[in-house]
Amino acid sequence: MSIADVQKVHIVTHVGLKKTFIDSLQEEGFLQIEKADFETLGLSTPFADVTTVEHQLHRLSHALDYLSQWEKKGLTEKLFTQKPQISSQEREDILCQDFVPLLDQVDNLEKQNNDIESHLRFLEKEEEFLRSLQDLVLPIKSVTDTDSTEVVMGVMSLASFNELSTETEDEAFCSHVISQGKRDVHLLVVFPKSQKEQFRQILKEKDFNPLYFTETILKKAGEQGKVTDVIQAIEEEKAEQKKKLLLLQNKGKELVPSREQLMRIHDVLLNEREKRLASRNLGETSQAIFLEGWIKTADIPRLEAKLMPFSDLVQCYFRPPLPEEDPPITLENPKIGKPFEIITKLYGLPQRGMLDPTLYLAPFFFLFVGLTVSEAGYGLLVALLSFLYLKFAKPKGGLRQFLTLMGILGVATVILGTLVGGWFGFPIRKLMILDPLEDPVSFLILSLALGFIQVWFGTLINLILGIRNKDYLQAIFVQGGWLILLPSLVLYALLKHSFWGILALVGAAGIVLFASPSRNPFSRFFGGLYSLYDISRYLADVLSYSRLLALGLATTVIAMVVNTLCQTALGIPWVGWLFAALIFVGGHLFNLGISFLGGFVHSMRLQFVEFFSKFFKSGGKPFKPFALEGKYVEFL
Amino acid sequence: MTLGLTIAILGGALAVILGGVGSAIGVGLAGQASSGVMSEDPEKFGSLLLLVALPGTQGIYGFLSAFLIILKLGLTGGTVASPSVFQGWQILIAALPVAFTGLVSGIHQGKVCASGVYMVAKQPKDLMKPVIMAALVETYAVLGLLITILLLNGISL
Repeated sequence: MSIADVQKVHIVTHVGLKKTFIDSLQEEGFLQIEKADFETLGLSTPFADVTTVEHQLHRLSHALDYLSQWEKKGLTEKLFTQKPQISSQEREDILCQDFVPLLDQVDNLEKQNNDIESHLRFLEKEEEFLRSLQDLVLPIKSVTDTDSTEVVMGVMSLASFNELSTETEDEAFCSHVISQGKRDVHLLVVFPKSQKEQFRQILKEKDFNPLYFTETILKKAGEQGKVTDVIQAIEEEKAEQKKKLLLLQNKGKELVPSREQLMRIHDVLLNEREKRLASRNLGETSQAIFLEGWIKTADIPRLEAKLMPFSDLVQCYFRPPLPEEDPPITLENPKIGKPFEIITKLYGLPQRGMLDPTLYLAPFFFLFVGLTVSEAGYGLLVALLSFLYLKFAKPKGGLRQFLTLMGILGVATVILGTLVGGWFGFPIRKLMILDPLEDPVSFLILSLALGFIQVWFGTLINLILGIRNKDYLQAIFVQGGWLILLPSLVLYALLKHSFWGILALVGAAGIVLFASPSRNPFSRFFGGLYSLYDISRYLADVLSYSRLLALGLATTVIAMVVNTLCQTALGIPWVGWLFAALIFVGGHLFNLGISFLGGFVHSMRLQFVEFFSKFFKSGGKPFKPFALEGKYVEFL
Repeated sequence: MTLGLTIAILGGALAVILGGVGSAIGVGLAGQASSGVMSEDPEKFGSLLLLVALPGTQGIYGFLSAFLIILKLGLTGGTVASPSVFQGWQILIAALPVAFTGLVSGIHQGKVCASGVYMVAKQPKDLMKPVIMAALVETYAVLGLLITILLLNGISL
C-alpha cells in the first residue's frame, strides 16, 4: 500500500565475529550495507582481495559456456526446467570441494578439441593443394633441380600459357602440363641453368606462380611416393583425427552432467565475492568492526533476534533517516497489487515523502487494458497460459510478477471483452452492454468519462499530498479549486443549471486567488488567472483517453476481418476448411499479439503521462539488501 | 459502377497505401538499426523484435479503415452500395486522417524505435522505456484512426 519504512542502522561488533556476522547478514538478506564513513570516524578500510575469486569465476563461466554446446534440451524442457536448489549446508560443502581438477579437465578437453580442429583444417588445405597436382605421375622427391637444369612447378592462367607456348619456341625450354582447368594450367617447367635469368624473366612476365611442396608433404611422400599416395595418406590421417574428435565429443557429452555441479560452484563463489566486496564497506579497528546500513523497520526484530546470541559482543543503534538523507525505497503492497508494481517501477520509484501510486493505478490499468484489447477470447488465452505456466514452471522473481500481471490483465480482458467486444470476433449480444461498432459515440463518452475520473482522482491525490506536506493553502484552494471546477463545468455544460455554474466559479476563484505565490495583488491575480489556462491541459489529458475507443475498435475490427477471410477461404473447394483453420489461428494469434502490445503500452502511457503528471514525482533509489543471489541456482 | 463508388474506393486505397508506406519506412528504419545491434549481440533478437514491430501499427490502422470502407460499400459480397459523388468524396475525406497521420507518425515512430534499439543495446533492462517513447508518437495515428472511424460511422449511405 505504501513505501516501506526504513531505518538507518549502525552496528559495532568484535572483529572476531566478522565472518559469522557477514555470513548471517547475507543469508538473511534484509540489510542494505552502506559505505561506512571511514575518514570522519578515523577507521581503516579493510581491503578484501577478490582477484582469485574473479579468476575462478571467469574460468567457471567459460567452462559452463563451453559445455553447454553438448547439452541438448528441447524447448519445453528449457521452458519448464527449474533452477537447482542449494541449502546452506550444501554451500559449506561446496566451498570445501576442490573443483579445479574438473575445470582442468574441461580446459584440457577444449584444448585438445581445438588442436585437432586446427590440424584438420591444415590437412584439408594440403589436400586441396595436392588435388590440383594429382595428375603428376612423377614421384614427388624427383621434382627437383638437376645439375644442369632447373625444374619449376607452378600455375598460370590459361591465356598466358597459350601466349607462352606460342611465343617461346626455344628448344631449351620445356614445359609439361600436369592438369588443365577452365581458367588455369598447372605445369612443370624445365630449362637449363645457364639460361635461367632469361627464362625466369619470361615466366615472371606471364604471371607464372611457382608452387613448392611443403616439408610435411615431402616427408609423407618418402623416396618413391607420388601425389596420389600423399593424398591417400592425408585422407587416412583425416579419418583418424575425426575419430579422435568424435571421442572427444563423447567425452564432452559425458561431462555435461557435471555442468550442474559447476553451476552450483559458480553461484556459491559469486556470493563469496559479494561478501568480500561488501566487507570493503565496513570500518575496522584492531578490535572492532563498524557497519552502517538501511533496514526495513519491520525487519528490525528479525535482526535483533539474529544478533541475540552475540548480545554481549554486538551493539546496534537504529534511527529514522535524517532530513538530508536519501533513504532507499521499497514498495509494499498486498498480494493482488504486487504485480502492478512493475508499472510503477518502470516509471521510477517514488521520491522520499511521496506515496506509492501502485494501488491507485491498478484498477484503472485493469480497466484500460480490458477496454483496449476488448476481446474475451484473447484474454482467456493469455490468462490461461500465464496461470498454467506459473503453476507448472514456477518461475521466480521478475518473470513471476510479470506473468501474474498478464494473468490479471487476461481476466480483465475476458470481463470487458464480453461486455463490449466479443469472443474471437463473435460478439455475444446478450451479454453486451455496449457495441462500439454500432454506437461508437457512447463508447467514446465512456472512455472520456473514465479519463475524467482518473485525472480528477490524480488531482485529489495531489491535494492529499499537499495537506500531508503542510502546504494547506495551495492544496485546499488550488487543487481543491480544480476538483470543484472540473466536474461542475462538465455538469453545467450538460445540465445548464446555474447552480453548477456558480460552483464552477467558486472553484475558479480559489485557483485565481491562491495559485500564484506572489505578494503583489496584481501579479497574484493575473498569475492566478493565467494558471486557469491549465484547463486546456486537463482537457487535452481527458481527450487523450479517446485512444481506449480507437484501440478497442481496432481489435474488434481486425478480429472480424480474420473471420471474414475465413469465410471466404471456406468457399475454396476441398481444402477450404484447412485454409480457413490456418487463417483463423494465425490471424487471431497475430491480432492477440498486436492488441495486447498496444493495449499494454497505451494503458501504461495513460498512467505515466496523464495520471502521474498530476501528483507523482519519481527519483527514489531502490532498496537493495545484501543477500544471496544466484545466476544458475536458487538458495534456500 | 458509379463515380461516387470509385471515389470512395480511392479513399480506402489511400488509407492502406499511406499507412502502409509510413509503417514500411518506420519498420525499415528500426529493422536496420536492430540488425546492426544483432550483428554484435544476436541474443537480443526477442527484445529488438518488439521495437521493430512497433511502427507496424500504422499500416494496420490503414488496413482496418479500408476494411471498414469496404464493409460500408458492401464490396465483400451481397449488394454493392451506390453512393453519390458527394458521398464518395465524404468517404475519401474520412479516410484522410488515418492515412496522413499514419504516413508521418509511422516514419517518425520508426526513428524513435531505431534510437530505442541503440538504447536497448546499451541498457538491455530498460526495454519498456523506448517502447513508451514510441507509443507517444503513435498517439497521433491512434487519434487519426479514431476520427476516421467516427467520420465513417457518421456518413450515411
